[in-house]
Amino acid sequence: MSKELKPITFPMEKAVFYIFPDYCKGCGLCKEKCPNGVLVWSEKLGVYGTPTVKPKDEDSCIACNICEMVCPDCAILIERIRQKKAL
Amino acid sequence: MQAVAPATPKSWYLPTKPHKFCPGCGHGIVLKALGDVIDELEIQDKTIFGCDIGCSLLSWDFFACDSTQTHHGRTTPVMVGIKRARPELITIGYMGDGGGYSIGSQHLLNAAVRNEKVTLILVNNTNYGMTGGQMAPTTLPGQKTETTPFGRDPELTGYPTKGPEFIAQVTPDNAYVARATVSKYNQLRRFIRNALRNQIEGNGFSFVEVLSTCPTNWRTNAQQTWHFLEDEMEHYFPVGELKNPFGKGGK
Repeated sequence: MSKELKPITFPMEKAVFYIFPDYCKGCGLCKEKCPNGVLVWSEKLGVYGTPTVKPKDEDSCIACNICEMVCPDCAILIERIRQKKAL
Repeated sequence: MQAVAPATPKSWYLPTKPHKFCPGCGHGIVLKALGDVIDELEIQDKTIFGCDIGCSLLSWDFFACDSTQTHHGRTTPVMVGIKRARPELITIGYMGDGGGYSIGSQHLLNAAVRNEKVTLILVNNTNYGMTGGQMAPTTLPGQKTETTPFGRDPELTGYPTKGPEFIAQVTPDNAYVARATVSKYNQLRRFIRNALRNQIEGNGFSFVEVLSTCPTNWRTNAQQTWHFLEDEMEHYFPVGELKNPFGKGGK
């Protein structure tokens, strides 16, 4: 069995951003591909001793899932938050 | 509360993760799309995955399905042999541009002419990655590699191989031929799904070339990697379906 992986969680306005440092190799593809430039380098180190990524603030992420799609290692997980409909 | 797990495809063999590819390598994205499609079509227990020599051999323990690793360029005939012996299995050949277009091009060409019912995925990163980034058949004109330090000169070494174009010329109409890129993940997944569906329905040869990244041997950072892939490679190698038996917009 594989060991339990502990994510670092960043709750944001439209989505919850999970990064798994055990999988992140710090390639930066997600950071460059993000259409809003949300991701920045974080102090936490990944599996190769390279920096992982984190969102810079809470409201610029649009929950488009592109970072999760282009991550070659499945280190990013985006969980969309269902928006409450305006009455 | 349930623990959050990474969004890995169910068919990945998790004890070998994180995988052995370099940071930023496109192989992980291609294999993630392939794993997603295997999950979606529920063919994990009847899939045979065969990988070539080169960087693509690092995928030998990638999937929790039957896998084999073949001699250089010989993935195509091995997959054809398995498919002929056990036609109920789904065979997926996985190779790089060196294995497919230089040493294995004879097998690729003949399997395409015979219209064998196998699915082949060829990852094109414009160089020989595992041996240190030498010039490959797909190196772009003017691109600097270890063996072309002043840029590839087409007068001296010829022009890059356009694989899907030449496969499309020699295959009958029920073959599936496409070129995808790792920068468009949903399109890549759709092309791989169509290629596997073509084999499952017994139509004929299915071939997908995927334009991929190699930051280690291109000597690029993440920004230059996307620039080279999206602005130079996708410009030279047009992305799209060249032959689709399901018709336009088949999803």
